[in-house]
Amino acid sequence: MNIGILSKRKTMFTGKMKQFFVNNKGFNVKVYTLDNLSINDTLLSNDFFVLKSKNIFFIYAGQYLKANKIPVIPDPETSFKQKNRIHSHLLMKRAGLSPPHIYLSTVETLKKELNNNDFPLILKPIMGSGSKGVKLINSFKDFSDNNNKRILYLEKYIEGEHYNVYFIDDEICTLIKPPLSHEHVDMEKISTPLDVKDFIEKWRKYLEGNALFGHIDIVREESTNQLYAVDVGSFPEFSQWQLDNISPVEAICNLILKKFRDFHNI
Amino acid sequence: MEHKVNDFLKYLKSKAEVKLYIEESFLVDSSNLKFDEDIFFVKGKGDLILGLVKFIEEETSIPVINSYKGCWLAINRFLNSVYLKEAGIPIPDFTLNPKGILPHFKEFIIKNIIDQKIYKFKPIVKKENGHLQVADERALLEVDTKDPRYNYLYYQKFIKSKWEYKIYGIGDKVYYYKQLPILVNSNKMESRHQIDEIPELKEYCYKAMEIMDLKLTSLDFLKSKGQFYLTDINCTPNFNYIKNGPKIVADFLLEQAKN
Repeated sequence: MNIGILSKRKTMFTGKMKQFFVNNKGFNVKVYTLDNLSINDTLLSNDFFVLKSKNIFFIYAGQYLKANKIPVIPDPETSFKQKNRIHSHLLMKRAGLSPPHIYLSTVETLKKELNNNDFPLILKPIMGSGSKGVKLINSFKDFSDNNNKRILYLEKYIEGEHYNVYFIDDEICTLIKPPLSHEHVDMEKISTPLDVKDFIEKWRKYLEGNALFGHIDIVREESTNQLYAVDVGSFPEFSQWQLDNISPVEAICNLILKKFRDFHNI
Repeated sequence: MEHKVNDFLKYLKSKAEVKLYIEESFLVDSSNLKFDEDIFFVKGKGDLILGLVKFIEEETSIPVINSYKGCWLAINRFLNSVYLKEAGIPIPDFTLNPKGILPHFKEFIIKNIIDQKIYKFKPIVKKENGHLQVADERALLEVDTKDPRYNYLYYQKFIKSKWEYKIYGIGDKVYYYKQLPILVNSNKMESRHQIDEIPELKEYCYKAMEIMDLKLTSLDFLKSKGQFYLTDINCTPNFNYIKNGPKIVADFLLEQAKN
């Protein structure tokens, strides 16, 4: 079997997946990065693809492959909706995950329409995920953008405890993380609170089989104890996974293979 | 933009109340979005407009012309190529390649991947080993800046055609024009003239509108060796070029609002 992996890099989780598929299953694996990925019929020689990265060009490749009846896991349409913050906000809202309110406008209009008590806000790129390009905005002075016509995406900042919650199938690993940090900083594992577990279940149920694994960044508001989902991801690195009985690489590769077999009723 | 919709707005305002939502001055506040419109007409394709359309579609039952799907696919050349081809509409061969990797076809035109801003097509034409290679200056600039947002180019196989066919679809009405290709005469309007219905193009127009969820569109076709190829699709066409275009579009919208 020929497997393609769409990934920013050939190492880390991708490298381990390749190793698993080659050594344990005897498959041929080709990793496509942004240096060697041309999106055309040359991709169609693979039996299925793993969409490791949410970079928009990998998502385009996924959409191209899907249109050409090649299975792509995770689903590229769902990954796109998690990549685009507006879609992602609406998706989380529909799933019942209470995302914070958002604003969308130019700096000029924001300055006219917002009041001082609307802060703090989080500035996030419209197309993005994780902490890249994310900035805390405490007042109008923090808008350093010189391009007054650029459309900014801002989210209400929720004061409280921040969780990074991974899930692989039914297994959940909940960690306390510093606000606005990326996945790779030190985090403290806690036992998963019931309301966090409920969030994960809602999310997986809403995505109807398109969330075999992933993560959700959740904030518990200090003043109300209410949970807010602030980011979702379809394929994190699982670098902070701390459930010793589960190997993320093995578990995820097996889930992907099961999904592929389901596609073909094998 | 304003001068392009002057006649349209004047006519529409004589028939209905009209409220304008302008990308540069509107604030989308997800906690306070209320609409009492019977229909929305989308004439822009910037990030805020697309976001607002998405919100309207998700949170209300107000019809939006064109829909988020239609707008997003129309401005994204790569994705519309994927879905038009999947639907069986003939389009030129295409590929999305990292800068430096040439396509598998010899003669091509490089176009920008996302056609979101209003600008004039500036072709850079060269011959490489006798093969024609055309590039839209804007597409090259997007990857040749100091800190490019991405490093990819969209290549479309070059189709040599005597005429360019410009087709407008407004609901179920289709209007047919042809003009000299822009590389032959950069003043497209000089040679543009209305032509009789071409059933094949009508069929492609309906099919493209259906799969891309467009109620209002313009399509560009080229013809080579008897075969038409759809090379471009637009979700915010300039309908002033059609006789009574502003009135036709406004009447169509009013009809849709009643339904």
